[in-house]
Amino acid sequence: MFGAGAMTNSIPEIRDTELMFVIGSNTTEAHPIIAMEMKVARQRGAKLIVADPRKIWLAEHADIHLQLTPGTDVFLLNAMAKVIVDEGLVDRDFIDKHTEGWPALRDNLAKFTLEEAERVTGCKAEDIKQAAIWYAQYKRAGIYYTLGITEHTHGTDNVYSLANLVLMTGHLGVRSAGMNPLRGQNNVQGANDAGCSPVFYPGYQKCDDESVRKKFGEAWGIGEGPGPGKNLNEMMKLVEHGEMQALYIMGEDIVISEPNCNVLEESLKTIEFLVCQDIFPNMTTPFAHVILPGASFAEKDGVFTNSDRRVQRVRKGVNPPGNALPDWEILIDFAKAVGYDMPQYQHPGEIYAELARLSPNFSGISYERLEEYPRGLQWPCKSADDPGSDYLHKGGPVIGKGQFQSVEYRPSAELPDDGYPLILSTGRVLYQYNSATQTRRDAGTNAKAGENFVEVHPDDAEKYGIMDGETVRIVSRRGGIKAKVWLSGRVQKGCVWMPMHFAEEAANRLTNDAGDIVTGTGEYKVCAVDLVPLREKKKAHGGAELQAVRHPEH
Amino acid sequence: MSKTFNIKIDGKECVALQGETVLQVARREGIEIPTLCDDKRLDPAGACRACLVEIDGQRRLQPSCAWKAADGQDVKTHKVSERVQRHQDVLVSLYMADHKLDCEGLPIETGNGNDLRAWAKDCSTLQLEPVNAPRVARPGDVNPYIEFDPELCVLCARCTRYCDEIEAVNAITLTGRGSETTIGTAGMRGLLDTSCELCGGCIDTCPTGALIEKKAEKTLPHEVEKVRTTCNYCGVGCQMDLNVKDNEVVRVTSPEPGTTVNDGNLCIKGRFAYDFIHHKDRFTEPMIRGEDGELHPTTWEKAIAFAAEGMKKVAQRHGPEAIGFVSSSRCTGEENYLMQKIARAAFKTGNVHQCAAT
Repeated sequence: MFGAGAMTNSIPEIRDTELMFVIGSNTTEAHPIIAMEMKVARQRGAKLIVADPRKIWLAEHADIHLQLTPGTDVFLLNAMAKVIVDEGLVDRDFIDKHTEGWPALRDNLAKFTLEEAERVTGCKAEDIKQAAIWYAQYKRAGIYYTLGITEHTHGTDNVYSLANLVLMTGHLGVRSAGMNPLRGQNNVQGANDAGCSPVFYPGYQKCDDESVRKKFGEAWGIGEGPGPGKNLNEMMKLVEHGEMQALYIMGEDIVISEPNCNVLEESLKTIEFLVCQDIFPNMTTPFAHVILPGASFAEKDGVFTNSDRRVQRVRKGVNPPGNALPDWEILIDFAKAVGYDMPQYQHPGEIYAELARLSPNFSGISYERLEEYPRGLQWPCKSADDPGSDYLHKGGPVIGKGQFQSVEYRPSAELPDDGYPLILSTGRVLYQYNSATQTRRDAGTNAKAGENFVEVHPDDAEKYGIMDGETVRIVSRRGGIKAKVWLSGRVQKGCVWMPMHFAEEAANRLTNDAGDIVTGTGEYKVCAVDLVPLREKKKAHGGAELQAVRHPEH
Repeated sequence: MSKTFNIKIDGKECVALQGETVLQVARREGIEIPTLCDDKRLDPAGACRACLVEIDGQRRLQPSCAWKAADGQDVKTHKVSERVQRHQDVLVSLYMADHKLDCEGLPIETGNGNDLRAWAKDCSTLQLEPVNAPRVARPGDVNPYIEFDPELCVLCARCTRYCDEIEAVNAITLTGRGSETTIGTAGMRGLLDTSCELCGGCIDTCPTGALIEKKAEKTLPHEVEKVRTTCNYCGVGCQMDLNVKDNEVVRVTSPEPGTTVNDGNLCIKGRFAYDFIHHKDRFTEPMIRGEDGELHPTTWEKAIAFAAEGMKKVAQRHGPEAIGFVSSSRCTGEENYLMQKIARAAFKTGNVHQCAAT
């Protein structure tokens, strides 16, 4: 590892890259405009390696598509690392100058042989080898990943394995290279920047650092600020166990978004107090004791920080509907009502100025300067004449030495078995956005993808005796939902795939809430399911008769 | 650094970079040359012939969009060359003979503008016999966003080249031959039944309004105020302009290519999925759940007091560890800052996170 959670490089650098290694990112659907840049780079001659269990659209443009079995990323990535060592393609100079832990990693790679990798991941050994060689050989080689890497019980290990590849090849501090997590939402980066994290105060200043707590405590007039708190996954568990009795939720539908949402839904029925501040009814708002109507992005001023650390303005175009208010105004009123002496900020620019004053990384960013930079300002931006940072780690990792992390391959928490023989991965489609409260209210997005579906491989469909377009029930140990079958060569045999957007038949009734040990992130990408045809009894492929409902408990 | 050299445009000494076209140099120097088929995101096509210039040593007029600048080149545009201006007068008249005109005899203004109109105003146009090219539309195309009007199309192929070179889905293409050539799809199917992702880039690049957004067909560009903002969907941070008319977002357009992180591109969600803003299902009043278990509208004063009281009570009874704040990666940075400040400063708890914990 070598730094904070953000893209090391910038989106406009993509078109000048020599090689793109896209793993666990359905870029064309989840980040369409970044995918356009990738396609432009491809047309300019860059190599494209896609690692994804499905034949995603971007795979059609790829030189190599590593169609791995879901959850085997650690094996794939370490096998690639071993190839790079065996072929003598490591960047010795970079490793000596800028990293620690190389001998241990090198020794640990021995077990990740190509033969074993082929068996575990299902990818051809020669493809893995070629991908590794290309990745190491090209200088401007960038890694792009997203939730397909992190939404596993071994998500952190996946990230470590990617970081190892970056460090051993010295693809860091180089234009159009680096390690680039593509952020899924408009302001994920900005919410973290602002300190909405249980371990960081604003500007990634650590909660377990006393001087940080004192600095913020004094700035806010409370002496010393509190230490680390619980992350979202832990909070949800506490809610489920009745230990967390009040939640203030702004702009999220926790029910549709959390893995295994059935349990959470039950516990929300008995929570003592729930505040929901949102713009639309959703699956969580029925449990709220009070609803505070907020404003959409078109109705307020502020900033979003995008995936490449770019702080850009949000500007008010229209008034919020009815008596709804911009969320920042609501929060000021709420703070005053609980008796905290929140300043009466007149405009979000004043709030940003306070944030920037307390956060060295953003101290050079102001509303005034943003007017002069139509492309936004990328942090770190530390003074009023700092033009911002396009790519990070120039001349070596910002934390001093990059740390190699040896990891072990651990299978996903729930693997297919006789009762639940298929692997379900969940994800997103181009035409809907997350809980879809916004996109499902538009004609064209719905015309393209207006209802839930499950992608099933034709061989599996034959086994179950189900047809394209037929509605089936998908069941896991945690719940069951209905969806239309989409026969698709996009998924592998033994795997099914569903989008997570559709509240009425939410895929997260099925997913596993086993979390990553470090981050708590749920395992949305791998759980075991079975399909239950809803038509009259069907003949199965082998002639045996299937029961119409084999899991009556759901 | 690229090699630089000098060229002369309309007598003005200009610095050119190796590999630049004459048009690129002229634009940087503020010398305006009309174009229809040029889009800086696309490879030059030299298709529309609007940008022809006189180049010393060349017998024929040459397209400045595709002609590479060379050391010592002497270029004359329509501003100084009568020959180029005469060419433009005839060319624009030919385009207009095959184009919808308004009552003043000018190319009509559309919801998506019309560059031909502005250009025609600068020329001495000739009255030519109207041509009724048998260019066909796709009448059966029921997609809710993108409309094609063949009577406004000048076949510059910006849309089809965009669909090929940038969006790279090749949903639309030039089909037919001769005067029947039109913008078509495979089998002339509706866009919903093609590889089209409804990104609307074709609308954005169309210079004459032949491609237009169905939802905003009637709204002319001068009727709206454009408000530059950041898209609220994924994390790319595309810049977009809300087109606002009477306190309503009636259209979303993308900024000039080359000026923002998205290079003038948007996806279906950014460009078209804005109906939610004014949707009837929006929360418009604060609400408190009553004894009857139902939510009832109330005033802001009451709702805020109720929310504050409720949170405070739980914190007092069970301690600050028993309350949590879930903030939003959908909200602004400032709102997130306030949320964690409330958690930490007002409630002394570190239990604050945001929805995209991943």
